[in-house]
Amino acid sequence: MTTAAPAADVFAALADPTRWRVLNLIADSGEATATKVAGKLPVSRVAVVKHLGVLDRAGLVESRRSGREVRYAARPARLEETARWMAGLADEWDARLARLKRLAEAPELDRKPQPDRRKKR
Amino acid sequence: MQDTIEREIHIDAPVERVWSLLTEAEHLGTWFGDAGAEIDLRPGGDLTLSWHNERGEKGRVDHRGRVERVDEPNLFAFRWGRQAGYDEAESTLVEFTLSPADSGTRVRMVESGFASLPGAEVQAWYESHAEGWEIELGHLTEHAGQAAE
Repeated sequence: MTTAAPAADVFAALADPTRWRVLNLIADSGEATATKVAGKLPVSRVAVVKHLGVLDRAGLVESRRSGREVRYAARPARLEETARWMAGLADEWDARLARLKRLAEAPELDRKPQPDRRKKR
Repeated sequence: MQDTIEREIHIDAPVERVWSLLTEAEHLGTWFGDAGAEIDLRPGGDLTLSWHNERGEKGRVDHRGRVERVDEPNLFAFRWGRQAGYDEAESTLVEFTLSPADSGTRVRMVESGFASLPGAEVQAWYESHAEGWEIELGHLTEHAGQAAE
């Protein structure tokens, strides 16, 4: 009925509002170090490093070494895939609610409790 | 990006009419599933929603769930798995709120809990166990950064 769920670690990663801000700061900068990100947030650098680890494991950022620094960049594909999946689920709800509305508003004569044999996808 | 889906529609029918379509098996199985439904309409009661297989293949898929709240005729909530089986730890919550509006009914639907689907538990474990390592890594990188200056 529905497509397979993208790994829900994306939702778990984004459930923390600070982590969401970290991701946005990295996306805005193009590429950033943990130190740079921490400088723009009211949280410690250690906390930022922890958040970056979660985002990295969820596939939302990627990292590379640049000399002795680690630089992080956003990976939009994972986020887009998850947003597309959610949009698909929302479309399914729109279709269900439209059927509910049609059924509820049907004239008295048509109100018989029988299964609708038309396929609705 | 939110982990909820919210929708609201207006229906030109009384609240009681919409309530019966929402909570009675013979109706649920027509607008929600397309191959029938079973429901034990009380908190903790079992719920089954069925769909015909794709492309006319024989057989059907049953999605199981559990009724959470029944406040006739205004609030109906249930949990269900996004896969065929039901596991409370891997379910989403669907809440329907009905209220009278302009001689009809306003229906609000909220589905939530996508962060609890499979994978999130692994994530939480990883977070709690990775914290120590991340701190060490942070110190190492900071130290290395200072040494480079």
